[in-house]
Amino acid sequence: MSLKRSPLYERHVDLGAKLADFGGWEMPIEYAASGGGVLKEHTAVRETVGVFDVSHLGKATVRGPGARAFVNACLSNDLGRIEPGKAQYTLCCDESGGVVDDLIAYLVSDDEVFLVPNAANTAEVVRRLTAAAPEGVAVTGEHERFGVLAVQGPRSSDVLGRLGLPTDQDYMAYADASFGGRPVRICRTGYTGEHGYELIPGWDDTVALWDAIVDAARELGGMPAALGARDTLRTEMGYPLHGQDLSLDISPLQARSGWAVGWKKDVFWGRDALTAEKAAGPARLLWGIEALDRGIPRAHMTMLAGDGAAIGEVTSGTFSPTRKVGIGLALIATDVGAGEGDEVAIDVRGRRRAVRVVKPPFVESHVR
Amino acid sequence: MSDIPDELKYTADHEWARVGGTDGKQTVRVGITDYAQQALGDVVYVSLPEVGTQLAQGAPFGEVESTKSVSDLYAPVAGTVAARNDALDQQPELINSDPYGAGWIVEIELAEGADLSVLIDAATYGTLAV
Repeated sequence: MSLKRSPLYERHVDLGAKLADFGGWEMPIEYAASGGGVLKEHTAVRETVGVFDVSHLGKATVRGPGARAFVNACLSNDLGRIEPGKAQYTLCCDESGGVVDDLIAYLVSDDEVFLVPNAANTAEVVRRLTAAAPEGVAVTGEHERFGVLAVQGPRSSDVLGRLGLPTDQDYMAYADASFGGRPVRICRTGYTGEHGYELIPGWDDTVALWDAIVDAARELGGMPAALGARDTLRTEMGYPLHGQDLSLDISPLQARSGWAVGWKKDVFWGRDALTAEKAAGPARLLWGIEALDRGIPRAHMTMLAGDGAAIGEVTSGTFSPTRKVGIGLALIATDVGAGEGDEVAIDVRGRRRAVRVVKPPFVESHVR
Repeated sequence: MSDIPDELKYTADHEWARVGGTDGKQTVRVGITDYAQQALGDVVYVSLPEVGTQLAQGAPFGEVESTKSVSDLYAPVAGTVAARNDALDQQPELINSDPYGAGWIVEIELAEGADLSVLIDAATYGTLAV
């Protein structure tokens, strides 16, 4: 099956991007050939501003009388906690409490919710919602109707300000604006831990918006940034990535994403299983790990106790460009009694490397 | 486009070898190619063997890690590690900025009877680095 391409594909090629498959989409990993690279792009986001094309993210609209109540009876978080004009991180679970996807829900009105799932899971989320939708509520996949740009970093509001776009939304609030006479939805959100925005223009309006944003970002010392840096940035924040730290086999409780579950709601997918797991206590928990020597944690490495017994598995790992040390997220069996500050180890290709158990983030958050 | 100096020898594993030596001892300085460093991206950690380590031809002797991946290093020739580039401990990025110079990795003193004929020339390597 051929890979799908973002409306910015030609821009990525022009920037000399290294491209790879992200959930069926051919997307940039880094822009080393045009002066970037994972470390420089990462630093740009932490210190100035980076501009990401994340148009591979899914988009879907649930519309019709009672759309909000319908979505609220399916997805985990409580849409009753927010007002129209706000967005919310939420989970789509299956009946066993596994996570089909994590996504952002934009509450437009009681009769309209806009969803941004992960690229690889969009079709499944849309399928499940469609199958459950009551008469009169339509679920429409709009994957290739919109692009998505993320502008992230301490200078992100200056970039949007130069384009005359609104910047004073609260964290997780959005504004519907226009650029060049074309609509664009702008939400104070992101996946980097920095102050930032995600912009949702129409598919065909994405190139013009990208060009203007990249020009403004460069004038402020920023640069285009790609998905390699997005991964190191989110790992430094301890944000779970679906498919690694959160999955059909890793429940929200295990991944410490229980805050995104509306426990008081009468109904949502996976409620019974999750409520039972909460009562019993999860069998394993996601922790941060920080290398105490030169080892770099990588997904699927085995976690080892002092006596060499296997106690869990690394789910994400990388070198932290900000902290200059190996960091990761790991599921550790609860009965081990591991806690913050404990020294355990990882199996790095047959060698034992010491790591410290920590609570993420690894770098201070600036999202608010 | 990647840089492939004519005066060096290469392996299909994207390493380069500079054959030299003094006092009758033949040594080979080894690093990874410009093509390899571009493919890896920013190098953040290099694991090097100790001086004196004996290496069989083709045996893994170290690792180069980027933010995203780990790659093994393979001994292009049989011999003994005569020197390691300690600068890489603090500045692994030298492999990106100067792969054929300051980013060298180890020097191997050739074992008796070590076979250099397995190394390929720049023109041949050029057909692999695409």
